[in-house]
Amino acid sequence: MTKKLFPTQEIGSIARPLWQLQVQQSRPLNERAVKEFNTWNERLHFAPKDDPTTLILSKGGGPDAGRVRDLSCLFGLRYFESAGLDRVYDGEARRVEMYEHAIRQMQGFEFLGHVRSFDNKYYRKAAGTGPVGLDHPYDVDEFEFVKTHAVGEPKVPITGPYTLADWSYNQHYLGKRSGWKSRAVRRDAQREFVVEIARQALRPTLKALIDKGCRVLQIDEPAAGTHPDEADLVAEGFNAATEGLDAEFTMHICFSEYRDLFPAILEAKRCRQWTWEFANRDTPERDGYAILDVFREYGDTRDIGLGVLDVHVDTIETPEQVADRIQRAAKRLGDPDRIWVNPDCGLRTRSLDVAYAKLTNMVQGAEIARGMFDGSSRR
Amino acid sequence: MDVATQLTGSFPRPESVVTATRDLDRGRTTPEATDAAFRKAEWEVAAIEQMLGLEPRTGGYLTWADIFRPISAGWGGFSVGPITRWFATNTFFRQPVLHHPPERKPGAIAAVLPAARGTAPASQAKVILPGPYTLACLLDNKSGETLEALAYRLGRLLADEVKDLHGLGYRTFQFQEPNLVVHPPAGPLAESVVTGYEAISSASHGSAVWIWTFFADAGPAWPLLARLPVSGVGIDLAETEPSSFRPLGAGQALGLGCVDPTTTLPEDPAEVVRLVLEAEKRVHPTHVMLGPGGPLDLLPWEPAQRKLEVLPAARKLLASHPERKA
Repeated sequence: MTKKLFPTQEIGSIARPLWQLQVQQSRPLNERAVKEFNTWNERLHFAPKDDPTTLILSKGGGPDAGRVRDLSCLFGLRYFESAGLDRVYDGEARRVEMYEHAIRQMQGFEFLGHVRSFDNKYYRKAAGTGPVGLDHPYDVDEFEFVKTHAVGEPKVPITGPYTLADWSYNQHYLGKRSGWKSRAVRRDAQREFVVEIARQALRPTLKALIDKGCRVLQIDEPAAGTHPDEADLVAEGFNAATEGLDAEFTMHICFSEYRDLFPAILEAKRCRQWTWEFANRDTPERDGYAILDVFREYGDTRDIGLGVLDVHVDTIETPEQVADRIQRAAKRLGDPDRIWVNPDCGLRTRSLDVAYAKLTNMVQGAEIARGMFDGSSRR
Repeated sequence: MDVATQLTGSFPRPESVVTATRDLDRGRTTPEATDAAFRKAEWEVAAIEQMLGLEPRTGGYLTWADIFRPISAGWGGFSVGPITRWFATNTFFRQPVLHHPPERKPGAIAAVLPAARGTAPASQAKVILPGPYTLACLLDNKSGETLEALAYRLGRLLADEVKDLHGLGYRTFQFQEPNLVVHPPAGPLAESVVTGYEAISSASHGSAVWIWTFFADAGPAWPLLARLPVSGVGIDLAETEPSSFRPLGAGQALGLGCVDPTTTLPEDPAEVVRLVLEAEKRVHPTHVMLGPGGPLDLLPWEPAQRKLEVLPAARKLLASHPERKA
């Protein structure tokens, strides 16, 4: 079956609705949260009107948190579907965030406290204090729920082994090595850490998801660009996590100097699609898609998940702007069939209204671009 | 010869400050209550420094949003810019944006030093500032000045700052210069860095002036580091192999960053001693100072505190080591 040109896809999390947050915090819903719930339900029809939880939420009560999490997933799913996306998920509604959510499923980690990210923003950081292990695969129930309810094709985002290792302290595998922990020793220990996370935690989880019918999995590696000299570890972790598995794997990287990752990153052999951020670097003065030339330089012909929405600004990209980005990217790649269309990254930092407007314009932009590249005259 | 031990950069914020600052941002507490949490934490850092024999004291620089903020928010010509990755870490700073030639505002930095908030008398406090080269490299330069001219100009302005702070009683200054090893300057740019530090050194009136390098191997920058007219040069041992150590300039002390802020694994004091002995043989410094390889705020509070214990332990071993006694 030939896929349609420029299919659209989600790429990660969206902002938590107020009503979900307030229920999670065991607070009664305030007027704003109730209004938000009712407005979006009118728009997306994610919650059955006669559902007792819906009735309670629509009046500002404090219902069962588990059912509210289900409704949050349905909300995320319908949000993407009604915006018109072809590949969808639930906006990661059940996850704390991409690092802590995954690490808390694993053995061998200990959360040690907060590290400042910038200003008064912090994140909780864990140390790998023992061998990496896993009680049971994670995100499987989450996927099954999505699969049951999705109209579009589900695509599961999951944090990759390199990022999980890079955002943790490597205490156990480093401690196994004697003597001074020089750069070479640290790198060797980091390699072991990445591969063990991949083999002991990620691979069993990916396998379980695939066994349940998942066909498309996005391995998120936002840390890939932090240490460009470790791009080979990113690829090695990816390969270890996906070894012997049959599914469509994509790799999401963002806000990095992509050229620094070449050619090592190309060794991620089972990756079928590079799902990267580009719009953030696309300005009137600079073509953010020029970096795509690097794939031609290295002869890599895998698909591209093309970031066409800047997730850091509230400005709504117009459909024409999206179409222009797609057109420019297609010209650089020399093959429009390789392009999937998505936001640069998760839209969690944008309001639900802004993110939705961006997504609907993205879908319209892809439609315009499709008209520019019809089957007989793709250029 | 005894070795000195000092903190060499900002310390992590304790959980009490994390909570207070989050609450402040969400309107759940007052600026006064937040400041009280900061003051308590600054005193705790100073107490840790005293207990472990880390002198002069820093107070942890807990209130500083980032190393550049007192300048980007306090001096003329600057604005506080976008969130930017702090080298190869998962932490960030707000990039200073320089719109016009920089203009120092006397007193702007002095007002926000931990010592000015009561953590130590100025004479027993260590002033930690961004180095002129690193600042020049990392800011967004819209001023029209070349990097070379800017590095020199910032050196002159920081020299004026050192002069004022010396007048207030401060006697130890450290400049954070990761860029000297991450992107070592060469040619005329290197000369402008040297000239800038000449100005700083002469403004210090004999005070200790250190530069501290981290995040990269200091080996390639060694000839330049040895030329800088400063009291001491700090090297990050997590990045630099002792085999690349060379003699320093006459009168220069050697700082050895032997606490790696990127891992929670504590360092072995015996290993630190071995490296100090090797470094002394190769470098012939006037004396040695041990400290963290870089700012410890890449760690949470507790592990940072725990890891510092290697410093007095190594100092004690060195004090009784037969090779050093001889």
